[in-house]
Amino acid sequence: MAVAAQIVIDRVNHLYRPPRGREVLALDQVSLEVANREFVALLGPSGCGKSTLLYLIGGFLPVETGAILIDGQKIVGPGPDRGIVFQHFALFPWKTVRGNILYGLERLGIPKEEREKRSTDFIDLVGLTGFEDSYPSQLSGGMKQRTALARTLAFDPKILLMDEPFGALDAQTRSLMQSELLRIWQRTPKTVIFVTHDVQEAVFLADRVAVMSARPGRIKTIVNTKFDKNEPDIFKNKFFVEKVDEIWNVVKEEAIKAQGKRA
Amino acid sequence: MDARMARLIETMPRGSEPEGMPEKATRFVYTLVWGVARIFSVIALAIAWEALARSGVFTPFQLPALSAVLERIWTDAVSGDLWINTALTLYRALVAFAICAIGGVVIGMAMSRNQFVHWFFDPIVSIGFPMPKIAFLPVVILWLGVYDVSKITIIVIDAIFPVIAATVIAIQGVERELIWSARNMGASNRELLHQVILPAALPQIMTGMQVALPLSLIVAVVAEMLMGGYGLGGAMMTASRFANSTSVFAGILEIAVIGYALVKAMALIRRRLLIWHQEVTWQAFVP
Amino acid sequence: MRQSFIRYLPLVLLAIAWEVIARLELVSATALPPLSDVLTSGIDMIKDGELVSNGASSLYRAGVGLALAILIGGLLGIAMAWWKPVDMLLAPIVEIFYPLPKSALIPVTVIWLGFGDGSKILLIFLGCMLPVTIGAFNGARSSEQVLVWSARSMGASRLRMLWDVVVPSAMPELLNGIRTALALSFILLVSSELIVAQKGFGYLIGALGANGSYDAMYAVVLTVAFLGFAADRIYLRIAKWTLAWRD
Repeated sequence: MAVAAQIVIDRVNHLYRPPRGREVLALDQVSLEVANREFVALLGPSGCGKSTLLYLIGGFLPVETGAILIDGQKIVGPGPDRGIVFQHFALFPWKTVRGNILYGLERLGIPKEEREKRSTDFIDLVGLTGFEDSYPSQLSGGMKQRTALARTLAFDPKILLMDEPFGALDAQTRSLMQSELLRIWQRTPKTVIFVTHDVQEAVFLADRVAVMSARPGRIKTIVNTKFDKNEPDIFKNKFFVEKVDEIWNVVKEEAIKAQGKRA
Repeated sequence: MDARMARLIETMPRGSEPEGMPEKATRFVYTLVWGVARIFSVIALAIAWEALARSGVFTPFQLPALSAVLERIWTDAVSGDLWINTALTLYRALVAFAICAIGGVVIGMAMSRNQFVHWFFDPIVSIGFPMPKIAFLPVVILWLGVYDVSKITIIVIDAIFPVIAATVIAIQGVERELIWSARNMGASNRELLHQVILPAALPQIMTGMQVALPLSLIVAVVAEMLMGGYGLGGAMMTASRFANSTSVFAGILEIAVIGYALVKAMALIRRRLLIWHQEVTWQAFVP
Repeated sequence: MRQSFIRYLPLVLLAIAWEVIARLELVSATALPPLSDVLTSGIDMIKDGELVSNGASSLYRAGVGLALAILIGGLLGIAMAWWKPVDMLLAPIVEIFYPLPKSALIPVTVIWLGFGDGSKILLIFLGCMLPVTIGAFNGARSSEQVLVWSARSMGASRLRMLWDVVVPSAMPELLNGIRTALALSFILLVSSELIVAQKGFGYLIGALGANGSYDAMYAVVLTVAFLGFAADRIYLRIAKWTLAWRD
């Protein structure tokens, strides 16, 4: 008995057209299916097109070849059903933490009382109580990313798109945020597509890891990483380490190819 | 907040993160010290001027004493001349500045959003920028006569350029991810422009305006010098024709004070409007 | 080449519009003489030497004033960045004079040095020094600490370091300051000559205007405006070349 996948990516190509110079094929016949409430990681070397794929799903770039279907419908641009979180936070610097979170709720026409309540709830959820009236320039990297997360979660998208969200944070904050994200996701499950180049992060967070090849990006292999990760020293767990190794060997090939192309 | 502070905060358990207190205190002390230093140097300069004038190295004509100049300013203030001239010059400069501010932003916005408008204005702005546009003053007089209209027009011709350039650069420089985030949350095109693009572009647009304001004052003064009549520039030219060097120096002082006041006022407005902006920290010269 | 043409096409169209509007006398003939008449007057003035002699005067004044401003302003800026006492002494003076509209000094320079070359050169020198000083100062200040330290560790004397490390890394900001000074020199030149001069571009414009020779007046206005633009573009080339050579 097959349940229709929530997200269907069907043989998508993407041509990158720079203002000067030749066109480059960024994605080559990429196909992927993601089930409802699944956590999928897109893993690959730099330049493999994983972010591009994310932007296509988000509707920020037009799908020219192939199709992307959400619940059976072709996408027609960005929308609040697919919330995005960027690596560099993309917070509105002229708005406070609360202001940022309220923005999406205002666009959706949610009534004032409900808006205030929801924003307070999410500020609590990400642990930023006391900082509602701070501006992004007054926050640390980790706090900014928590704000960005709260902002996107607040308008309750059924799909969460995350573009290397912890890439700009230092190692300690990153590992804290990874646990946070998992905790939040376990409480309010959504479909998540998470772009990263960090294998351990992918194995820790995701149910499945889709490994992409170097440019032009293709899905090379998909590894199942759904198992119980609720132990304190999971990163040292034997099974975990084996999975990481397995995936790393695949990625390594592609990473070397990517380096070669750059040089 | 600098990197050190940020890391310090991250290693602390949640719930006891300090507000930016230490940072605010140091900033206050800095401002205080610099403020005192500035007042001190103004006083030192004033004393040096007076001493030099009295020393006899220069004639009273070449370098009138500061005391004589201040006395002159006082006389003009009492007689009302100072206020009339100042008000006129300010009126011309500020009206022109308002036109530059609004017109410049409108043209800059139109250039960013419409290919044709951009194509049309781009060479005009690009070539016009480094031109000494004051050279067009005689042409403006030819067209519009010798009254305030021409003065205001030449000021606009000169000072609108920095605003247009700043607006175009600012809008083009808005982070793609900000726009995408807003669209993600359902913002329409209109909402995007007013709620995201303009606020994001504001710091740089303001910088353009901060360049345009003193420029408006300068051009107003020059136009007045050329066209005579009332106004600080006109009064200075008259004084120079009558070889009244005390009044000429008085004029310089008055214009300097007004220029300083305008720049300060703009800086204050900027600070209030852009309270959220991460200002580039220490610049030795704050214009 | 084709891209340049498309880019500057609006100006060509404006020129054509000018000619058409003027010929059709949509605007009074005195206020807007046809572009062709303006061009012929210009050529005439070149032929009879009026444009060239006045132009030479103007460029001489601006050139000398600017050269002095660059030399002294640049040295001052670097000195301020390199030796603390110089900075403490001069910084407040620079700060005070920064917001002063330099054109306000026109009557003073006239009182001191009269209507001739001297007053213009002094005005341009005083006015253009500031941007150069600030550019040199900021540039020298920003010279990477790492470079200075490595030079020092290799035994370079302070003066040597100044020449080998600080000056080259100060170049971009200094060159930018000079660019501002260049534009400012044209502005101060034209302003002062329009108001108080007996020769030069500005004077010529005024005289032709008073005389009613409007097409000639337009010609000189366009010449000056174009020279200002050309000077900036040529300077940019030179600056780019200088930076490339340094690297």
